Amino acid sequence: METLVQSIVSGILTGSLYAMIGIGLTVIFGVMRIINMAHGDMVMLGMYGAFWSFTLWKIDPFLSIILWVPVSFLGGMLAYRFLLKKIVPAGELNTLLYTAGLSLFVANLALFAWTGDYRTIKLDYAVMPLRPFGIAVPISLAIAFGMAIGITIALYWFMMKTDTGRAIRATSQEPMAAALMGVNASQMEMVTFGLGTALACGAGVLLVPSLYLYPTVGEILVAKCFVIVVLGGLGSVPGAIAGGLLLGLVESLGAVYVSVAYKDTIGFIIFLLVLLFRPSGLFGVGKS
Amino acid sequence: MKQVLVLILGLFLLAIVPLVFPSPFFVHLMIMVLMWTVLGAAWNILGGFGGQVSFGHATFLGVGAYTTMILYLKLGIAPWFGIVAGGLVAVVISLPIGFICFRLRGPYFSLSTLAVAEIVRLVALNWESLTNGPVGLLITTLPAITFWGKPINWESKLPFYYIIAIIAVGALAATYIVARTRIGAYLLALREDIESAESIGINTVRARVIALGLSAFLAGAAGGFYALYLRYVDPDAVFSIGLSVEMVFIAVVGGLATVGGPLIGAVFLVTLGETFREHFLTGHLIFYGFFMMLAIRYMPDGFWGRFLFLVGKLRPGKGMNHGAS
Repeated sequence: METLVQSIVSGILTGSLYAMIGIGLTVIFGVMRIINMAHGDMVMLGMYGAFWSFTLWKIDPFLSIILWVPVSFLGGMLAYRFLLKKIVPAGELNTLLYTAGLSLFVANLALFAWTGDYRTIKLDYAVMPLRPFGIAVPISLAIAFGMAIGITIALYWFMMKTDTGRAIRATSQEPMAAALMGVNASQMEMVTFGLGTALACGAGVLLVPSLYLYPTVGEILVAKCFVIVVLGGLGSVPGAIAGGLLLGLVESLGAVYVSVAYKDTIGFIIFLLVLLFRPSGLFGVGKS
Repeated sequence: MKQVLVLILGLFLLAIVPLVFPSPFFVHLMIMVLMWTVLGAAWNILGGFGGQVSFGHATFLGVGAYTTMILYLKLGIAPWFGIVAGGLVAVVISLPIGFICFRLRGPYFSLSTLAVAEIVRLVALNWESLTNGPVGLLITTLPAITFWGKPINWESKLPFYYIIAIIAVGALAATYIVARTRIGAYLLALREDIESAESIGINTVRARVIALGLSAFLAGAAGGFYALYLRYVDPDAVFSIGLSVEMVFIAVVGGLATVGGPLIGAVFLVTLGETFREHFLTGHLIFYGFFMMLAIRYMPDGFWGRFLFLVGKLRPGKGMNHGAS
């Protein structure tokens, strides 16, 4: 019983961060139909950002998110404007190949600049895990969980209540009609790409104290991202949240009850099954 | 007639290059270029002609490499038979993969091949009785054999060069045959519009399965060569997503759906990458990513495709013949 609760708790903690990365990928897909292969590398850049601001300037990683989210938002907008904008009309396959190129470029630039060493951050206050009700909860993951929830709620409010958020959702649902209603589509696309990148980087910053970082970490993360957004339905924000939590749970329960070695395999098998039999996602809300 | 002369000249050059420039680095570079030519050509048959963009071709390379290794280490079968066996096992593996992934189209096909490749990698990592897990497999000595009465010196790189040269010529010939026969036309048709292709009676499932099988065979054979040349395989070395992506890039930068494209792409990218690696050790794939972005943005036909297009422009009347050059 205790193992079950323990693995559910750690599954939800990791799942919340997966969800945050997944939302970034899914809003980008929803608005621009870009399958962003470089999304994992944005997480990687966020991780390195937090790592360097901690090592060089002694800024706590959870504090440095105030710095890195706006920076990556701007970076994402610029990347979209100058790198991706012209590619998008060429179709989904071309953008897929293009972002795969971008991903390899960024990852290898990082490899060149920062070497392939595995790095990690040790926080003084997060050495011992919390133990509420006898369940071990790593402090760094608990803080990351809290902040991920806060960011997700803020984003949800932004998408639902603000004019920009409504415009983004409108562009995602029906670009032509949105344009006719006076929505500046290309501006919305830039904002959306910035948002997606900021979410990925932010999740990277939050992940740093709990995960080893190395330049090619994005390769594995991006594969997981796709599992998450396909589970929830491509283009759907609530779907990505559910998909992220689900993947976190599947991995941690799978590690305990099936096998540690094959825990990642379970996610991919579910991914294939969903793609084959429920292409609009488990909840039937995505765009197939 | 002119084409035959060019062909003979090319083969002659291929045969004497390592004798003229015998420095080990150069021969190693040539070997890597030819190996990546085979891999690029393998990917190009399915991805270039058929438009089925696979991000999981490392699966076939890895299966070929492991087959060659395991046959040699456990059963004592010489690696050159192992190379052929590696290709054949890759074909067998490709059948269920095709059965699953060909149900999906466009980017969804790509994502599904990525997932399958990761599943295969994790299986190879954990099936320790067969693959020795993350430790990998190592060949310490290659069998002593003679060729025309002379014992082959495995310490030199020359024998490896000629083995991969033969495979590369085979791969390019296979691409040429695909481009010139019905199957190539079927693939181009289904790449452009799969519904229309089906409606005029093309059996697109059969065409795709043949393309995948041929593609898997070539990638598996290259994998077998990889095992023989480097004498060491482990799951992260031969099943990684990175390898699949490199194959895609070589074919796209060189020229999709052309015979010469993968060769040009491999000469260009592998030379750049290996030279960079000589000097800086890490990050040699920077150029792959960079030229991939440039190619998609400015030259969707790739270097070779662009070249053929310009040549075609210079000679009016001989229009660009997609897929036959």
